[in-house]
Amino acid sequence: MEINASLLINQMLFGLALGAVYILMACGLTIIFGLLDVVNFAHGTFYMLGAFAAFVAVSLFGNFWIGLASAIIIVGLIGWVTETFLIKPLYGKDPLYPLMLTFGFSLAVTDLMRGIFGTVGRIVPLPQFFTGSIIWEGIFIPKYRIFIIFLTLAVLIFLWYFFKKTNLGMIIRAATRDSLMVRTLGIDVPRIWTFGFALGVGLAGLAGAVNSSIQSALPDMGVEITVECFVVVVIGGLGSLGGAILGGLIIGQVISFVSLFASDWSNVAIFITMLLILLVRTRGLFGEAGRL
Amino acid sequence: MAEKEKTSNTRSGNRIVWITLLFFLVIPHIISIPLATEIMIYGLFAMGFNLLLGYTGILSFGHAAYFGIGCYGCGIAVRDFGFSIWEGLLVSIILGILLASIIGAISIKKKGVYFAMISMAVAQMLYFLALSPLKKWTGGEDGLKFIPKLSLQFPFQVDLQSPFPLYYFVYFVVGLSILAIWRILNSPFGRLLQAIRENEERTIASGYNVTMAKFVSLVFSGLFSALAGGLFFVYLGYGPLTTLFWLTSGTILLMTILGGMHTFIGPVVGVAVFLFAQNKFSWIMDRWQLVVGVLFIALILIFPEGIVGTIKSKYLARRTQSQEIEEAE
Repeated sequence: MEINASLLINQMLFGLALGAVYILMACGLTIIFGLLDVVNFAHGTFYMLGAFAAFVAVSLFGNFWIGLASAIIIVGLIGWVTETFLIKPLYGKDPLYPLMLTFGFSLAVTDLMRGIFGTVGRIVPLPQFFTGSIIWEGIFIPKYRIFIIFLTLAVLIFLWYFFKKTNLGMIIRAATRDSLMVRTLGIDVPRIWTFGFALGVGLAGLAGAVNSSIQSALPDMGVEITVECFVVVVIGGLGSLGGAILGGLIIGQVISFVSLFASDWSNVAIFITMLLILLVRTRGLFGEAGRL
Repeated sequence: MAEKEKTSNTRSGNRIVWITLLFFLVIPHIISIPLATEIMIYGLFAMGFNLLLGYTGILSFGHAAYFGIGCYGCGIAVRDFGFSIWEGLLVSIILGILLASIIGAISIKKKGVYFAMISMAVAQMLYFLALSPLKKWTGGEDGLKFIPKLSLQFPFQVDLQSPFPLYYFVYFVVGLSILAIWRILNSPFGRLLQAIRENEERTIASGYNVTMAKFVSLVFSGLFSALAGGLFFVYLGYGPLTTLFWLTSGTILLMTILGGMHTFIGPVVGVAVFLFAQNKFSWIMDRWQLVVGVLFIALILIFPEGIVGTIKSKYLARRTQSQEIEEAE
């Protein structure tokens, strides 16, 4: 294999698209953690549900965009129900309980989906204009990967606008800092929490829908990405959106380049990266800075 | 009054340890021997795990790492280095201590959820290490294979191929470990761990080195879990990759909660009930993981204290009630 500039740029773009999906996931996890203090162990499960929601919607309506939108909406609704009935009763108890509960949830839902859809992967077909690649100076970029990068960028800009400029976004930020104070001001904070959870898992659902056209939708697809997502937020600093973005970028590049040079180690490399970063900066790259 | 309560507590607790040991002595005559062996090994694993979860209040979501490293460590020592079984188990213990020290050094100071996530990441790393880069040693997906016939030479010749001698060998090691864990948890150090669980700030303010205590409790937990892993290798005669899988970490957590994480004997009860049910029903149920997941949710929402914890609190409530009646009379 000859290593030249175009190969490296190619690999970098590949890593960027990979990182973009991690960023969507990690932002959702971060919003949930910041707001509810809950580490959502079922994050990958919602990602899987998003992939299947997209698959079902695209097979019914034949439209890719409806697939993406319905992934966010359906998964968000499932998240709403989950939070209301399963996580809400645990507020004020041991902070480890929600973590264990979401773990049980992910086991149950994954197996339920296995019962419904079997273990054969379902690929969501891409619309015509996303298939194929752009070829430029020997660099070979699949169009869909570029779309993923821009979609993530758009979502991040939306999140930024939402959190900084809208009323609801500012309430969420305030509730993240000091929920008691916000409650004193007469705002229904538990409602805000439910909304935050739905928003967070909705992002995971979107990530799953996006990825369902690259990898196929499988009931078991959620587990590994949950752990990878943990690595991303631990690297960035738990609870920091900036950290989630930076962590996602780093992990995307690490996976992309390690699988190029030492494919045996690609799964291990992200954990080694995490350990190295934790040795240098024990609180993650961003620490508490850049909190929501 | 407090003094009296303490001694009576210790005495009834002591009784529980002896009842457990007696229970394990007779159980292979009632249920199948392999199932009984597995209950003992997982029981030790769960007790080691609960040292951290139930007593210190730290959740490790990657305890499969210790179990697996113990299993592989013992296996590789016996297969490739010609170690005896005793030496192999010693290797398991040392590896467990080492791993716990490394994970502890990186993450023991962190908040609970952080620790859970990092421990899970490390466990997943070991899983992937065993899966492909270290395939030459670990056998990758197939697990550790080509193990010579296992037998004890010291103190006397025991053939570990037949179920009963194997059972009583495991019984010996697990029995000693349970006594050791009991001793640890009822020492001043064990009380310190519970103080940390109940109120960490106050324990720090009382002048205890909380970080060190947490670290030591993690090391003990890793040690016993790795020892259980080593025994698991001896029991199976091979080292499956699933010992390192995340589902193993989740299952041990579920079994511990099922039995009752704030009790000494709860984890063993949880293991026994869970493995027995799995053994009896899993062939009927295609959707075993669904059942497990729903059980998990139900336990956390309705019975977070588990079987033993719930019975204990009912019993205690009744006793205080009857005492109150007596006093009133």
